Amino acid sequence: MELIQIIISFISTLCFGILFNLKGKKLVTVAFGGLISWSLFLLISNFIESETINYFIVAAIVSLYSEIMARILKTPATPLVTTSLIPLIPGGSLYYTMSYAFENNYDGFIEKAISTLKLASALALGIIIITALSQFIFKKLSRKSA
Amino acid sequence: MEKLLECVLDIGEQMLICGGEVHRVEDSLKRIFSVYDIKRTDVFIITSSMVVTIISNDEQIYTQTRRITEVKTDYERLHKLNELSRKICKSKLETEEIKKELEDISKIRLYPIWLEFISFSIISGGFTLFFNGTIIEALISFIIGAILRLVLLITEKSIKNKIFVKFISAFIATSLAFFSVHINFVNSVDKIIIGNIMTLIPGTGLTTALKDLFVGDSIAGLLRTIEACIIALAIAAGYFSVAFLMGGM
Repeated sequence: MELIQIIISFISTLCFGILFNLKGKKLVTVAFGGLISWSLFLLISNFIESETINYFIVAAIVSLYSEIMARILKTPATPLVTTSLIPLIPGGSLYYTMSYAFENNYDGFIEKAISTLKLASALALGIIIITALSQFIFKKLSRKSA
Repeated sequence: MEKLLECVLDIGEQMLICGGEVHRVEDSLKRIFSVYDIKRTDVFIITSSMVVTIISNDEQIYTQTRRITEVKTDYERLHKLNELSRKICKSKLETEEIKKELEDISKIRLYPIWLEFISFSIISGGFTLFFNGTIIEALISFIIGAILRLVLLITEKSIKNKIFVKFISAFIATSLAFFSVHINFVNSVDKIIIGNIMTLIPGTGLTTALKDLFVGDSIAGLLRTIEACIIALAIAAGYFSVAFLMGGM
C-alpha cells in the first residue's frame, strides 16, 4: 500500500506539473519532489504522531530541496515547492469536512475543518521558514564565493 | 520613459497571470527600474491590480495602472519572464528589445490538450487509490477525471464566472460518482469524489495565500485566502446539491 502511494505521488505530481506547464528538468524535479514529500511523510509518521508537525517538517525539507534545485536550474523556487507538495494537500480531509457538514455531524465537521486548516498552515509555515532562511544563507554564500 | 514603463508593466502583468507571487513581482519591477535613470520607484501590487509610479532623474512623473482579471498558472512562462527580468537588470535592454523578448515569451506553447486530459484522469484515479480506494473505484474516478476536463474545457469558454465553473464541475463529478454507486458498480462515493476533488481544489492557491499572509503581504494574502475559501465552498455546494437530490446518503 505504501509503495503504491509513493508511486502515485510521483506520477500525480508529474501530471500536475504538466497542467502547470513545467517543462524538461523542472518537471522531473517536481515529480521527484512529490515522491520525496510523501516518502518523508510516511517515514516521519513512524516517529512523530502529530500530523501537523509532520507536515511542517516535510514542507521544510521539501522546500529546502526546491530552493537548492531552483538555484541549480536558475528558476524561481515557488513553482517547484508548491507543485512538489501536492501529495500533502489535505483533499481527503476537505472532503470529509464537507460530508460531515452534510450529515449534520457538527463535531466531526469542526474537527475536520480545524485539522484541514492546521495542515494547510503547517505547510505554508514550513515553506516560509526555509524561504526566509535560504535568502539569507544563499546571499552569504554568494558573497563569499564572489 | 513612458514606453519603458509600459513594457515593464507588461512583464509584471504576465508574471501575475502566470502565478507569480505578489512580493516577487514587486521585487522584480523595482530591480528592473533601478537599472534605468530613475530617481524613485513606487510599486503597489495586489493580486488583481498593479499601480506603478516612477520619478525620472529629470523630475518627470509617470504613473500607470493595470487591472488583472484572469489567472492561468503557467510556470514555464513565469520562468522565462524571470530570466528576462534578470537579463534586463544585467544589460539594460532597450524598450524595443524588451518588446521583442515579450513577444517570444507569449509564443510559449502549453502541453497538448490530450495530455491534459490524461493528466486529469491519472490525478483523479491516482488519488482515489492513494486514499485507499479499490481498483474499480480508481477506474471510475479515472474516467470521471477525463469527463471533468471536458466539462472545464466547455464551461471555461462559455461561462466567465470562475466560481460557477467550479460549482458545475463539482456537481457533475459528484453526480457521476453517485450514478456509479446507483448502478452498483461500487459501494461508496467517498474515494471517487476525493480523487476528483484533488483536481478541483485550490490547494496550491491556499498554500500561496497563507504564504503571502505570513510573509506580510496581508492584502494579497487575504484576497487569495477568501478566493480559495469561496472556491472550496462552491465545490461543497456542487457536492451538496447532488447529495441532497439523491436523498442523502
